[in-house]
Amino acid sequence: MAERDGTIRVLLADEQALFRQAVKVVLSSEDDLIVVGEAADGLQAIAEVERVRPDVALLDAALPNCDGIRATQQISLRVPECRVIVFSAQEDEQILVQALEAGASGYLSKGSPLVDLIDATRAVHRGDALVPPRMLGALLQRLIHRRRERDEALKRMARLTRREREVLVLLAQGGDNDGIAQSLVISPETARTHIQNVLGKLDVHSRLEAAAFVTQNGILDDLAVAAR
Amino acid sequence: MSLVLRNGKPVRKSDVWIRQSDRENVVFDPETSSVHMLNTTAMAIWVLCDGDTAPAEMVDAICELSGLPPEVVEEDVGGILRGFEEAGILVWNA
Repeated sequence: MAERDGTIRVLLADEQALFRQAVKVVLSSEDDLIVVGEAADGLQAIAEVERVRPDVALLDAALPNCDGIRATQQISLRVPECRVIVFSAQEDEQILVQALEAGASGYLSKGSPLVDLIDATRAVHRGDALVPPRMLGALLQRLIHRRRERDEALKRMARLTRREREVLVLLAQGGDNDGIAQSLVISPETARTHIQNVLGKLDVHSRLEAAAFVTQNGILDDLAVAAR
Repeated sequence: MSLVLRNGKPVRKSDVWIRQSDRENVVFDPETSSVHMLNTTAMAIWVLCDGDTAPAEMVDAICELSGLPPEVVEEDVGGILRGFEEAGILVWNA
């Protein structure tokens, strides 16, 4: 929550004390920004955010003990009103995507001018999402690609019968023939037949691949609903 | 299909030059010696004009990223693509 005078309360997490100190000096020179907490690793960052409840947390992606992406996930769950900006040593599309998926509101590289960090802090506090302009096209391409893969996965999944979907849910949860047979009250031979059909229809070659297909495409929930 | 977006898949003209930085995006068409300044959104759309991506897919991705309503994004994407086409730096695949 912002202080009554509109000051934005910031938590800063980076392994390097010198970097933290430099950023702190710069942010504190702005009338509307105040650094209310610091952390040198991911676990400390999560604990500090819970304790001081800043408006904005600035996290290095490469924090020790719990990287900035996982710390972002935890902060988003535990203190959802805190907006997170993840920064990394270089512009990295994969880190950008992971950060946004983890719940970050913005991403910057450490190569950005400090004025960008100040602007970014204000922007995410206003509720804006912040992506480096040069990375926006690539990010959209990635989103489109992922959406196509998911659509394709759902198409393949639509080939399955209801029983086969139930089998796939159990497979994705690590079930073996006997376990699946017991859960569905069918014989292990019938379970094996269903599993073979599932593998064929999904065009995968092993149970592990079938489980990975479900996990990678994020369709376990869709699958569980469809199997009901 | 929306009324704002046309059918087909847009493709960037292959012989244009691009200069992209944090501050500006410039497209230069040597055939007409014309220079076009693109804002961040237009530049992102330009990157997506690969002949393989439909405007509707662009809209979906921007909505996912920005949380903006589809009708607003459709209007913007449609306008930007029309702008590229009028500037002669874009063609359409069937």
